[in-house]
Formats: sequence, structure tokens, C-alpha cells
Amino acid sequence: MTKEVIMPKLGETMEEGYIVKWTKNEGDYIKKGEVLFEVMSDKTNFEIESLHNGYLRKILYPPSENAIPVTTVIAYITDKPDEDVKEKSQTIEKETKEITGEIISTESTVIKEPIKDERIKASPVARRLAEEMGIPLSIIHGTGEEGRIEKKDVLAYSETLKSQEKNQQYEVIPWTPFRKIIAEKLTFSKQNIPHYYLSSRFLMDNVTKEKEKKSKEKKITYTDFLIFWTAKTIKDFPLLNASIVNNQIRLYKTIDIGLAIGIEDGLIVPVIRDAENKTIEEISSLREGIINKARDKTLSHEDMGEARFIVSNLGMFGVKNFSAIISPPGVAIMAVGAIEKEPVVKDGNIAVAETMWVTLSLDHRIIDGTYGGKFLQTLKKRFESLKF
Amino acid sequence: MREITYRQALNEALKEEIERDQTVFLAGEDIAIYGGAYGVTADLWHKYGDDRIKDTPISESAIIGIGIGAAMTGMRPVVEIMYIDFISLGLEQISNQAAKIRYMFGGKSRMPLTIRTEGGAGRSLGAHHSQSLEAWLLHVPGLKVVMPATPYDAKGLLKTSIRDDNPVVFIEHKMLYNTKGPVPEEEYTIPLGAADVKKEGKDVTIITYSRMLIFSLEAAKILEKEGINAEVIDLRTLSPLDMDTITKSIKKTNKVIIVEEDTKTSGTGAELGMKIMEECFDHLDAPVKRIAGADVPMPKSSVLEKLAIPQVDDIVRGAKGIIL
Repeated sequence: MTKEVIMPKLGETMEEGYIVKWTKNEGDYIKKGEVLFEVMSDKTNFEIESLHNGYLRKILYPPSENAIPVTTVIAYITDKPDEDVKEKSQTIEKETKEITGEIISTESTVIKEPIKDERIKASPVARRLAEEMGIPLSIIHGTGEEGRIEKKDVLAYSETLKSQEKNQQYEVIPWTPFRKIIAEKLTFSKQNIPHYYLSSRFLMDNVTKEKEKKSKEKKITYTDFLIFWTAKTIKDFPLLNASIVNNQIRLYKTIDIGLAIGIEDGLIVPVIRDAENKTIEEISSLREGIINKARDKTLSHEDMGEARFIVSNLGMFGVKNFSAIISPPGVAIMAVGAIEKEPVVKDGNIAVAETMWVTLSLDHRIIDGTYGGKFLQTLKKRFESLKF
Repeated sequence: MREITYRQALNEALKEEIERDQTVFLAGEDIAIYGGAYGVTADLWHKYGDDRIKDTPISESAIIGIGIGAAMTGMRPVVEIMYIDFISLGLEQISNQAAKIRYMFGGKSRMPLTIRTEGGAGRSLGAHHSQSLEAWLLHVPGLKVVMPATPYDAKGLLKTSIRDDNPVVFIEHKMLYNTKGPVPEEEYTIPLGAADVKKEGKDVTIITYSRMLIFSLEAAKILEKEGINAEVIDLRTLSPLDMDTITKSIKKTNKVIIVEEDTKTSGTGAELGMKIMEECFDHLDAPVKRIAGADVPMPKSSVLEKLAIPQVDDIVRGAKGIIL
């Protein structure tokens, strides 16, 4: 019997994934529960275990930089090593999509299918060569009979590319799958989410004192304070802990705060789960843990999750304030600037105080200005006073 | 090396095999006293006499029957069908007896029978004396089909065919008998099932056999002047077929033209093209092209006869079309 291995859907918003590696070769026997392949999606790698016992008969997609839509059949497992693989037709794949349609946005199918169906005339050897060279057939001009793309057309195109590369003033660097995921997500966000921004200046006097006091025992950072108070305040403003998936507004029972961390070749957002029920010391330990893991690239699926509310801090670079892009399916992100001494008016007098600018980016589809404003006001009050 | 004709090369092969093996004998219409319609068996009767060289009545059925019976009982007969057009009269015995006996008797009987015949157009002999019927024979499992194009191949392959313990249909071409080519004086044989790359090239593979090889090589020369470097493969034996040589060439050139004299529909090229599609699909850069005989009875008029079979120009045009 032939069993299909599909590109798994590892998160609510995952539309496609990249195969990083196969841990078994064609013909190998694999037990249910053994790791079969590795997938990259939402900026991290996941090891995927086999759901079946059997022989890995056919790998349809080797590791590559091409994105594969979720539920696409990527390999076949059979009971016997010499069994014929009964490849299922596209229609079955479509049915699967419909069955699981609840969690898959219809957008991708609508946009992608017409392109897939359009078959470009190319000779078998040209088709193979173009694939090997990574040149899409759609950009090659065919000079064969009835415009068929032949081997010489592929070679000519690759020659043109080479000579262009020699003359041009720039170098083309690979657009990695990791960066493509970031690009897709952020482009989607800016194109589809009506952002608006609310800024507020937080006075840091009390927090600084408390931080110094607490840090005698264990080093606590401003970020820890911010996460702690933000989580506590979100409890009273549940819309900030929402997500929009498939035209549903989902309110979550736990408050998981994402922390944007810049790494070597991009950005990742590990999550501090259930933050509203944790002490500031606990939050601090968790934060240290995920930052270390992020630098060592050892973050697990558990560490990643789907963040709703994200905190992004660029204060360490002296950035005074900035506006962040909302990371879907979340609806809010908080951009935090540097702590600086500024002149402030206190009791009618100008004084010097430590300040920190905070800018919220909110999704106007579900959060209005009054709601967001109240949240920011409350957060500011609590954070500055360290009191509810 | 000395040069002799295709006819002389065949004559030498027969002579050498008659002397080499006491069980070899020839039978056919007018092959003894007259020396054969195209003179292939000239002088053999004078030299070896009635025991070895036998004239037969005008009965193709009888000729094949004699061959099968003799082959089953220990002889190594070489029988001649004067024109392949007449082979239909012996086809029952060829396809149902010669081709199957060894298999149906579980290998207990051998069938070392060689059926020499000749085919092809070019002498304005009309629809009954000009056909290329190799595809009929290719359709019968158990038969080997050999179609040499040069004197060297004709001699080497005929000797191997005679020594083969299976039935071989050895098809000569009436327009090749007077062609000359180098043939060594010393003994040699050529294995069945080995194609020969007669000209190496890189732009297109021309697969052909028998007289069309001569046309294809001429076409290749013309193409060379126009910057197209054709590789010309002479199949030499259609069954067994040398797919290795074909595949190797297609991997290099990615383009294929099959040149055959037989009529196009269900012809040799149809089978070849399909095999290529099955085995070399990923290496093809254009559809396999056939240049074949027209689907008509061969006209008597020499002008029309030329139009009914591929000419050098057709091959040149075909190659240019596929190279574009």
C-alpha cells in the first residue's frame, strides 16, 4: 500500500514550507515516529517524524530553495521495498485541500493555480536543463518549432546571464528561503493590514530604581519590566492578544509575548508563554534562555509558536523611536526605543528624567484608536508607577 | 586495403562458410547454374557442385520448408528468396515454424537457418519487385533481421548469420550490389546486434540502415558544409537492436532523424521512434523525425520511384528543419 507524505501545516498561517533535508534515502526503511525530513517555515527548522512504518519509495521534492505549498505530496512510503508507487492525481490533492480547507486560506490556491496550469512548450532536455540551472522556463525565449524552448535556448539564456554578470556593477546574492519567508510575511502585512501608530513617552525613574534593587540578586533588564507590565495590562485589553485567521478574530486564553531578536541573517520571534502569570524574575530567566538559544540557533518548535503581541527593542542602538510592522496573524507590535535623559516638565518645573519612547503599531481592522490609546495610557501609568 | 563490391563480399562470405563447415549448403531459384538473379552466388555451383548449391522450383514455400527441415536435422542451410516481395509466400513457414520451433521444443531443436533475400527500390521494377518489407519480419519474435549497407559489413554479418543457431533473415539491397568498399582479405566476423557509428557528429543523430546509409552519409557531407555536424548511425541489424549506441548518441546530440526506405506507416522508424521516446525522453530536444518511404505501392516510373523513397535532399532538409 502506498502512503503519502505531505508538506505539513505547522502553524495557523503556514501556507508553504521549504524542505531543508531528508534524513532517509529512497529505499530506506523508516519506522513510525522516526525523523523523516526537516522543514523550514516561519523562520525556523522543524524535524518531521514519519506517520507510517514502511519504505521511503520515492522523494518527489529534494531539498531546495523552492517553496512547497502545504498538503502537497512530497514523498511516498510503501509497505514493501519493491512495490509500485501509485501516484495520486492532482484532483486528490485538491480534495485534501478542500477537506482541510478550514485551516488553509483559499487565497494561495486562487492565486497560484492559473500559473501552474499554463504549460510552456519546451523540449524534454530543455526542461531538464533549465531546472538544473534554476532558470524558470517562463523567462526563456523559445526559438524551436512553434516557439518551443530547445536546449540551445536554455544555453543561450544562461550565456547571456553569465556575460551580464561579468559586465554588471553589482553582484547577485542568494535570496535565502529564510529571508523569503520574512519578505512574504512583511509584504503581506503592509499590503493587507491597515496599520496605525500610537507613541508615548514613558518616564523611567521608578523602573530604574527597582531594576537596580532587583538586580542585586539577579540581573533584570528594562525589557523584562516591559514584558511583565505589558502582559499584565493586555489582560485588561484582550484585543491586543488576538489574531486574525481565515476571517476569524481569535482571542487567546494565554498571553504569549513574542520578542523580536535580530540574528545573523534575519529576524526571529521566540515566545514567552503565559507571561501574565509569571514573575518578573521568571520572565527574565525565560528571556535569557531564548536569546541564548536564538544565538546558538537551537530554538525549538516550542520556543517559536505563533506570537500575537510582539515586543521589538532597538534601544541598544540608540534608536529614539521607530514604528514596527505588524507580524500576522498578530494584530499588535510594540517598538521600544533607547532610554535617554530628557528635560521633562514635573510639577510645573523643567527637570531631567530618564525616558523611553514606546510606539504601538495596531491593526485598525479590529483595534480602534480609543482602545489602543487606553491600553497605552494604562500601560504607561502602571509601568511608571509599578502599581496596578 | 583492397576494395571489392558488396556482391563480391557476399560471394566470399558464402564461399568461406561452405569451405569452413560441411553442413552449409545453398538453395534457391536460379542460384546454381545461373549464379543468382543478382550474381551473388556466381561460380559457386561450378566450384562446389550439386551437393552444396541447389536450384529449386519456383516455390518460396518449398525453399523455406527445405531450409527449416534441413536446419532441424543438422544442416546449416542458406536459402535465397530472390526478391523480398515474394517472401509473403514463405511467411507462414518463417513466422510460424522457423521463428518458433526452437522455443516450442524447449530448446531441443536448433534452427541454424539463414534466409538471404534482397529488397528496396531503384531499378524501376515496379510494385512487386521494389519493396522494403523488413518491418513485417521485425514483428515476429524469434527472428533476427540483418540489413548491411557496406561490403565490409555484408561479408562480416553474413558469416555471423550463417553461424548463428537461430533463424536469420539477411536482407541485401539491390542497389548496393555494385557499390565498392574496403574488405580485408583475412577472416573476420561482425556480431549481430551491434550498430556502427559511420560518422561522428554532435548536432543531430541520423539513424539509418541499408541503402539509406549511403544517402545519409551524402546528406551529412552537405550538412557539414552548412555547419551542421550530423552523427550517422548504421544499425546493421534491426533485430537484435543496439539501443546502447542509439542512446549514447542521443545523449550527445539530443536530436534524432530516422531515415528508412520502407513505407512510413507502421514501419521500422515507428518502432525505433517509440523506443527512443521510452528510453531517451529526457534527452530529446525535438520530436523524433522520420524520413521514410511514401505510403504508396512503388511506382514503375523511375521519376515517381525517386519521389516515393527518401532522397539525399530530403535528409538535408529534414536535418535543417530539426536543427532550425
